[in-house]
Amino acid sequence: MKVKELAELIDARLHLGTCSGDSEISQVHASDTMSDLIEHAAADTLLLTTLNNNQLIRVAELMDVPGICLVSGADPLPELLARACAARTAILVSPTGMEETCRLLEAHSGSLKVTRT
Amino acid sequence: MITLSYRILGGDFDSAGLATRKLKEQLAKIGVGAPVMRRAMIASYEAEMNVVIHARTGTLWARLDEEKLDLEVTDEGPGIPDVQLALREGWSTASSQARQMGFGAGLGLPNIRKNSDLFDIETRVGRGTRIRSTILLGTRDDGGASPPVPAFLSLDHGRCRACLRCIFACPTAALRVHRSLPVMLNELCVGCTACTAECADGVFGIGDPDTGRAAVTRGFGAALPPVPPDAVLVLPRGFLAGFPLEGSPARVLAALQETGFADIRLVEEWEQALRREARARAASGKGALPLIPPFCPAVVALVESRFPSLIPHLGPWLSPLEAAGEEFPLRPVFLVAACGAQYSAACRTSLTDRLTVLSPARLAGALLPGLARKPAAAPTASAGTGGEPAPGPGELAVTGVRHVMRVLSEAEAGALGGATLLDLSLCDGGCAGSPLLCADPFISMHRWQAAPIGAAPSDAAAVPRQKPYAQRHGVRLDKDMGEAIRRLARIDALARTLPGRDCGACGAPSCATFAEDVVMGRSEADGCPHLPEHGEETQ
Repeated sequence: MKVKELAELIDARLHLGTCSGDSEISQVHASDTMSDLIEHAAADTLLLTTLNNNQLIRVAELMDVPGICLVSGADPLPELLARACAARTAILVSPTGMEETCRLLEAHSGSLKVTRT
Repeated sequence: MITLSYRILGGDFDSAGLATRKLKEQLAKIGVGAPVMRRAMIASYEAEMNVVIHARTGTLWARLDEEKLDLEVTDEGPGIPDVQLALREGWSTASSQARQMGFGAGLGLPNIRKNSDLFDIETRVGRGTRIRSTILLGTRDDGGASPPVPAFLSLDHGRCRACLRCIFACPTAALRVHRSLPVMLNELCVGCTACTAECADGVFGIGDPDTGRAAVTRGFGAALPPVPPDAVLVLPRGFLAGFPLEGSPARVLAALQETGFADIRLVEEWEQALRREARARAASGKGALPLIPPFCPAVVALVESRFPSLIPHLGPWLSPLEAAGEEFPLRPVFLVAACGAQYSAACRTSLTDRLTVLSPARLAGALLPGLARKPAAAPTASAGTGGEPAPGPGELAVTGVRHVMRVLSEAEAGALGGATLLDLSLCDGGCAGSPLLCADPFISMHRWQAAPIGAAPSDAAAVPRQKPYAQRHGVRLDKDMGEAIRRLARIDALARTLPGRDCGACGAPSCATFAEDVVMGRSEADGCPHLPEHGEETQ
């Protein structure tokens, strides 16, 4: 599933920056700890988190992550958006909380693997 | 064996992870495979964050040889009172600031251990900690076969005075002057003609991509092959307006018609068709933005070699001259390439003898008799183009090597704001600025605007590209990673002994490129006249 299709599925706001939103996502990993996020990060993985800081982008940059999804309608910090743009990582903002977003993803998508730690 | 080292500042969450990112860039350069890269990044990042979270300062060391990557992170910090406890998942002494940012879950050290083939930790309370992680390389990513290296330019060695201006002009450091003779590193050349523009002696010409032999130098070159009766000629407007003759550009067109071409078309028609298509795509938001349409094949080569992360931004079409070659499937077509990059691109497309690619000088040679006579009446081209379209909203039109390099760097950093379409050309003033055309681009534009040739509506269309763009590995030191590591180490060691004046006396544009040349066997080690053994003190 493409990043932008996934955003539509969970009704997320999409900050594409310089990305096309066409990157393929086959896994979503949800966590609030950096170690978990980097351990599960990959070029086909969307990270889902309640965190909202610049280190998310560093992890994305190191692991070639195509997209990060913030939850509960959080406003991404302007610097986070700027860094995401430079790292070519899409930022999604889901209007619902982490649990609900995971549930939506699990319910709607057959091929997508959703994990949580 | 090569050793890289990066400083880490304790408590600096803003630049935390930067050392690991720099390490990633170096590892990518020598072609470390994806699985090793992944483990190295996790181990290195976790170890770096340990320093940021707990210590005052630290250093990340990476030692690479053919078999393994050794990461070592040393710090000046509080040390770990109970290592066994620290290695247990969930145990942490991180500050609340770190915890708020998602750190301090007690998974850092276990993560490093999990991703290491060998793991070791030494710590002294009140002094600091040293973490070592070894990752066996095993797999290697050779990045697939590199596309064939195009030979864009030919060199006429006899004309070179070894003035060294070209080596400093080349944006990709592809030129050297060795023993007073110019040498082109074809794998680095993007065909931008910066050297040609800089060279007052006419050393550079268009090269034949198959044989590497000069298709033509700046002289008039070989005579035109016979022109079949239904032949089409496609040429740049800058050619027609490039002659300082009364009645030009119409007079040039008349002389061309005398050479027997049934149709004479301007390549700008396909350029405008490509622009229309690109604008529609950029407006639709489809694909990576900003879109970089392939107006200039040298820009494409530059992206493929120096800015590979922008490859997805290249528009999926043929360049205008290539598209023109596809337009008339049943007729013989003569294409006039304004530069080496266009020449190479057009030659690669022309799989049949239906296409003939000419340099401007070769066509000019055939025109001389016709140009000597003044035309009776002003002729018209089969089709033409109007003036240059003004850049639309979100479009950034940039010409000239230095500006284009800067814009691509900014695009790579995502710092171009709302730009949706980059109209880039490596020659100053666009294709009309190619040094292989006769006139300055501003003068030829002035001539054209003063006496434009009537234009019929054009049916030119953008042509989709079949062959995907691919990264050029011109900068890789060796296909074998072990050898690449050894070479990188030797280059680094040698560069440290050089004076850093970048004077060009060795024939390379900088001390760093000279060090690379020596290690790659392209230059002799005694080529630097400023080293002490040559009798001059280094400063």
